[in-house]
Amino acid sequence: MIANVLDGVVLGLQFGLLAAGLTLVYGLGGVLLLSYGQISVVSAIVVLFSMDAGLPTLGAVVVGLLAGALLGLAHDLTVLRPVYRLHGESRVLLSLLLSLGVAFVIDGWLNWRYPLQGLRLRIGSGPIEILGVRMPAGSVVASVITIVTLTALLVFLRTTTLGRAVRSVIQDEEGARMVGIDPNRMLRLILLLSGFLAALVAVTRSMVLPVDVQSGFSITVFALIVTVVGGLGSVSGALLAGIILGIINNVAAAQIGTFMSLVILLLAAAVTILLRPAGLLGVKE
Amino acid sequence: MSTQVSDGTGTSHIGGIEARVSRSLGALMVPIVAVVAIGCLAPIWLGGSRVLMGVAIIGVTFACYAIGFNLIFGSTGQLFLCVGALAGIGGYAGAIFADTVGLPVVVSIILAAIAAGVTGGLLSWVAVRRSLGIIFTGIITLIFTLVYDSLLLGLGDLTGGENGFLIRSGADSFLRRQIPPYYVMLGLMLIFLIAHGLLRRSHIGWAFRALRDDEVAAELAGVNVARYRVYAAVIGAAMLGLAGAIYAFAEGRISPSTYGFAQVDVVVLVMLAFGGIGALFGPILGSVVFTIVDELFIELGQLREFIYGLLIIALFLWVPRGVIPTLGQWLRRRRREPG
Repeated sequence: MIANVLDGVVLGLQFGLLAAGLTLVYGLGGVLLLSYGQISVVSAIVVLFSMDAGLPTLGAVVVGLLAGALLGLAHDLTVLRPVYRLHGESRVLLSLLLSLGVAFVIDGWLNWRYPLQGLRLRIGSGPIEILGVRMPAGSVVASVITIVTLTALLVFLRTTTLGRAVRSVIQDEEGARMVGIDPNRMLRLILLLSGFLAALVAVTRSMVLPVDVQSGFSITVFALIVTVVGGLGSVSGALLAGIILGIINNVAAAQIGTFMSLVILLLAAAVTILLRPAGLLGVKE
Repeated sequence: MSTQVSDGTGTSHIGGIEARVSRSLGALMVPIVAVVAIGCLAPIWLGGSRVLMGVAIIGVTFACYAIGFNLIFGSTGQLFLCVGALAGIGGYAGAIFADTVGLPVVVSIILAAIAAGVTGGLLSWVAVRRSLGIIFTGIITLIFTLVYDSLLLGLGDLTGGENGFLIRSGADSFLRRQIPPYYVMLGLMLIFLIAHGLLRRSHIGWAFRALRDDEVAAELAGVNVARYRVYAAVIGAAMLGLAGAIYAFAEGRISPSTYGFAQVDVVVLVMLAFGGIGALFGPILGSVVFTIVDELFIELGQLREFIYGLLIIALFLWVPRGVIPTLGQWLRRRRREPG
């Protein structure tokens, strides 16, 4: 049981990191980025090719993270331009449809050009013992990276001026505008950051299981579900929701079976959305 | 996307108003019958080839799906990302009722449509009760699609899992021959079009439009927003289930990918993006163009997905209201200019 819960926490931290980037983009700009998982996959492929080109693993990871950040920025500079001209639900809807298009473009290209590529980073040699449970080294390293990143993100949002400016836009865009914060510049920064986070998801995930060309959509869908359960725009909510859903998933998988665990996970998410439409730690409403 | 400008636009033109008032039932039927009549001729060119006939049947089936989705999303603004799942409930329920339970095919198809309609209605009822916005409705229905997908695989004994379901019932009926299923689906499309057209003209249609244009205003004017949303979802979902079930019996074999998200929902969305969301004939034009383009590019394999991505981006960037409505507006403007 403890082993299941610990595995659940590992998965949950992944979920939390997955949702962090998406939740910030949505909370800040009302933009639903369905190409989020594809940013992850592209970064994974960049890491893979950099390693093939002879770069050391760490160097390849840095190149991959950079690629993710640039791809996030590219969204801001191209397809999202017309989205920014709209407001409210039509804005969300257009961003959803356009980024779905981007997701297809990336998926189609990758599946056509590199259908069999996948990234798998092997970390350490033997398992590491935690609370009397032997955990694979990759899971532990991935979890440590995730915890450090999310902590850094929360500290950035709470203590720095820039982070507070970002949060002020999430809470009240008009008010932020009045005190001289440019929401569009904040949004550009956040897209850069969320591209970086998507790339980091690819890296940490590949320490636990392979990230292949086809995994883009499942990454996006899980990010979306965790985001909504945690509350749109809330990083700590994403983390909380991720861990809860991760534990639910792994305990259900051990007790009932793998197929039903996904169903239970999804139903738990649906029930949360229906009971608390604003999410666990929702910022708005 | 739902900000359709009222179709008259020229309210200062008295002639325009008269034309709109006198638009009778016949004016609705003429274009519908014309479209279906053209559709009836397709087997003359394609009938010789089993492959092309199969493509045409799939095309008409998707036109039916698109009409159902158009009714739910285009008319009442509920983003149902479970078009494939609802059609799949129809297809699998029909197959199970007929093969496993042993009911007659026609009864199975009717029960399948009811099952899909009830499911769609429940989803809509939940969304309306919790007053979920368009995005939350989208996410709840997306979660529903994933649950349906994992149940399909998890209940492999009943559904055949990944291998699919081989339907034995009705194997010797006309539905399995080369051309008749095309006319059956075309007839279904005719019924769906008339039903959607009549709904748009009735007081329910007015309620839909009021709802879509301004929900709060509609509610203040006494439109029971919740009830009409659920009505639209029940009717649209039953359409999806009916089309899915009939297609299942025509095809004889269904698998998870027959009604998959990427195979159905995404395609229907592209079709509507092309034809115009909420426009009566949008689904028809969209499905015709999509089917032809898809067939032309068939050798490109995976690169097709890439092309559809570009198509989605281009369509929503430059003609967000759909090609047909934009073209219509452009034509109207040109016609008015000389006078």
